[in-house]
Amino acid sequence: MSPLILRRLAAFAVIVNGLFPAIWILFTSLKTERELMQTPITWFPSAPTIDNYVHAFHDQPLARFVFNSVLVALTSTALTIFIATLAAYAIARLQIGFRNTALSIIIATSTFPLVTLLVPLFETMRAIGILNSYAALILPYTVLSLPVCTLVLVSFFESIPADLENAAMVDGCTRLGALWKILVPLAAPGMFTAGILAFVNSWDEFLLALSFNSVPALRTLPVGITLYQGEFSFPWPIISAALVVGIVPVAVLIILFQQRVLSGLTAGGVKG
Amino acid sequence: MPVTRSWRDPTEATLAKWLLAPAFLLLGLIVVYPVGRLLVTSVYELSLTSGLPAKFVGLDNFAMMLDDPVFWTALWNTLLIVVVTVPGSMLAGLALALVANMPFRIRWPVRLALLIPWALPLAFVGTIAAWFFQSEYGVVNDVLRHVRDHKIIWFNSGTLSMMAVCLTIIWKASSFVALILLAGLQTIPAEMYEAAEMDGAGRLRQFWSVTLPLLRPSIVVAMIFRTITALQTFDIPATMTRGGPGNATTTLAMYIHQTTVDFLDLGYGSTLAVAMFVISMAVSVVYLKQIRTNT
Amino acid sequence: MIAKIGIAAALLWATAASAETRLTVFISSQQRPDVMRHAFDKFELANPGIKIAIQSGGTTSELQAAYLNTVMSAKDPTLDIFLLDIVRPAQFAAAQWTVPLNDQVGDVATLLKSYLPAYADADTVDGKLVALPAFADTMFLYYRKDLLAKYNREVPKTWTELAATARIIQQGENNPDLQGVSFQAAAIEGTVCTFLLPYWSAGKNLVSDGKLTWDRDAALNSFAMWTGLVKSGVAPRNVAEIATETTRKDFQAGKAAFSVLWSYGWQLFQGADSAVKDKVGVAVLPSTDGGQPVSCIGGWQWGVSAYSAHKEDAIKLVRFMSSTETSKQLAIEGSLMPVFPSLYQDPDVLKAVPWYAYALPVVTAAKSRPVTARYNEVSDIIRTQTNAVLAGSITAGDAATQMEARLRRVLK
Repeated sequence: MSPLILRRLAAFAVIVNGLFPAIWILFTSLKTERELMQTPITWFPSAPTIDNYVHAFHDQPLARFVFNSVLVALTSTALTIFIATLAAYAIARLQIGFRNTALSIIIATSTFPLVTLLVPLFETMRAIGILNSYAALILPYTVLSLPVCTLVLVSFFESIPADLENAAMVDGCTRLGALWKILVPLAAPGMFTAGILAFVNSWDEFLLALSFNSVPALRTLPVGITLYQGEFSFPWPIISAALVVGIVPVAVLIILFQQRVLSGLTAGGVKG
Repeated sequence: MPVTRSWRDPTEATLAKWLLAPAFLLLGLIVVYPVGRLLVTSVYELSLTSGLPAKFVGLDNFAMMLDDPVFWTALWNTLLIVVVTVPGSMLAGLALALVANMPFRIRWPVRLALLIPWALPLAFVGTIAAWFFQSEYGVVNDVLRHVRDHKIIWFNSGTLSMMAVCLTIIWKASSFVALILLAGLQTIPAEMYEAAEMDGAGRLRQFWSVTLPLLRPSIVVAMIFRTITALQTFDIPATMTRGGPGNATTTLAMYIHQTTVDFLDLGYGSTLAVAMFVISMAVSVVYLKQIRTNT
Repeated sequence: MIAKIGIAAALLWATAASAETRLTVFISSQQRPDVMRHAFDKFELANPGIKIAIQSGGTTSELQAAYLNTVMSAKDPTLDIFLLDIVRPAQFAAAQWTVPLNDQVGDVATLLKSYLPAYADADTVDGKLVALPAFADTMFLYYRKDLLAKYNREVPKTWTELAATARIIQQGENNPDLQGVSFQAAAIEGTVCTFLLPYWSAGKNLVSDGKLTWDRDAALNSFAMWTGLVKSGVAPRNVAEIATETTRKDFQAGKAAFSVLWSYGWQLFQGADSAVKDKVGVAVLPSTDGGQPVSCIGGWQWGVSAYSAHKEDAIKLVRFMSSTETSKQLAIEGSLMPVFPSLYQDPDVLKAVPWYAYALPVVTAAKSRPVTARYNEVSDIIRTQTNAVLAGSITAGDAATQMEARLRRVLK
């Protein structure tokens, strides 16, 4: 087999692996509950229906859930990247004695299982008066992603030779100017990766979102989707429809964002 | 030589402090109080269901932990998940990243396939997987139906349940790994490969002598966090098997959650959490040594 | 920051506007907040100066508990009254999260006698009344009227009869997909009931006055009864993965002759999407040979938060919400099962929900699961072991031994 065919096969395998569950959810969202109880099970919906989508939007403020999730995730991602960039730069570039200690402390905070910190975190949030607000989620989500993002950025900054910044600084750039104009563009793939990690961390989070925001208008998608459940009932077709509606905007967002970052990277090179 | 410096041009140490301040401020605000309370509670006997006030017991809770068979089962399961899913997701993630980095004309389908497992909220991945592995209505048995004539009841067996849980974790986590490694691959300059090719290195050779060494920092980063998150495995088994059958898939994080949130035994729950923290801390220190001595 | 200012402003506004008392009630969005709202409106009308706000949490008992446990552990004063799953009042009372109601309800014994008998057990801890019933639920034996008629069989009174009848139907129908009976043995709360049904039916209690009253034979018989149903093919081999909703869906799809299920199944079985519409009957669950008929009670209880700033008004509200009047309204408007036996014969209620006519013997035979502050641990022990036995990953003898040892440690 030629390398091209092998490559295409590999790509195909990756696509099936990644998309199969999502496509299964998509198909399920078009089935009736009755069809789900058939054995042997059906793969393709035998009589596709959009009823489940109607229900998904009608029974709960689904659009609101998606909006909340995107808003919280984007804000905390921006905040995380900003703070992590500053910290990573200090650790990777500056001649200071406590860099390893600083990094270790930041990593250490991520080794506490979140589930055990729930009650004291709730108390903290109440003490600063931000329960039932977006901030109640944005702040802890930023903390949640800060360690991994800092570490990713440190390793990226360290892989980029310092000569370029030094040259820029000789030309009269300040350190922070060099960070912003030289290092950040060069580390774009790292920034992008850190951004996605942060985004998805908050996108995924369930327990804090359930506990800190009890106002329905502030619910995020993972919590919102559980509202379709009953005490016992788990309406797969409707929940699938809600999941599809939740996934699509994120997928589009990430792809657009990624295209832009990558094309900027290859076309622009290093700008002074 | 005394130099007066303006705020625009501070010393490196001062600048570093300023740059690190936001991170530490935020960590201090959000994490220090909860963690401090956790450490204190771990040496108290404090169970809300007992109706008794907190009582200082020193290390008694830790002694109790060493005697607790469920703790050992949960610890064993957790370590098993780490040992299986960390290498598993690293290898799968590397493969995914290599494919995603191939020069296809249309890249977005592969990239999308990499990101969708992420976009599917974690709380539902376990539920979906439970449904896939369900013996009657699951797609896994539907596929296997063509190979073998009787259904496998995955969740009747501890071993099979654990396999199903690990497979699901690897599936979800490999895209995390792939994302980090892909970013690493993209920073490897094309000249390196060209140079290697001129030296007559084949593809495999290039992979070993160019790709892997240059990817090393990214691999270590992914490893550290994959290991920490694997040690904290909670959502997937909690929604997929609820730790069953018996305690065959109960993880340490699940046991901690159960002890504190369901059983309201805050003292013992904190003790378990501290034990878990010590374990994951030890692991990350080892990793961190690795990465920091090589740069 | 903006959010913070917003909240502060909202709080100021709230305090400025409130010459009145504001009570916050926590219920789930599945517990008919719309119907509850009607009752609250009535209460507000009768009690000027009190305004009631609804806060709704997750939709399952577990998610509600996860939320409440966090909020109450943090001693948060936001909530004034909340709905608790029947298994939780004892835990909440021990944690001192609820206020005892004894002094505010008149004669406690008389009051409790008016409710279904199981609630007197569930809501009293150490002689203290810690919660009052809101609406009921219980496990029924659902059966296929059409199949029983076709094979000319009676509704089974014992599990042995049920097994025999199920075999006849299964053989007669000659359909490999038809289960004799569907019940739950996944590691879920309902599986505690699965274990307890035959245990109770033999006349044994698991916990009395907070002490373990373990009967190994009753436990072994319970395991033997259920595994027997699986081995003889009456119940499916994969029971260990069957949760409540699987039973409901299987029965609704016409895939089971009998099922052990909570009350929510009834309405769904009569739906347009149902394969068993008009073919379903309900009865009290079978007993063991020589045993008595029992069922497992569920339902929800009102508790008053110990951190509430308006305890007196909150108690008043709880009294109103657990009154005959409200229970009747909830039944008629929301099909939430009444907590008073009398209402199961009330013509208005029966007009709205005719099938309650069959429910009375079931709800009065129902028992409450062990009442102990450490119920969650008890539940975990029972469900894990029962699940493991039915998965075949442990023998019944070993499971009984482990169950006893662990229960003894918890209920010492």
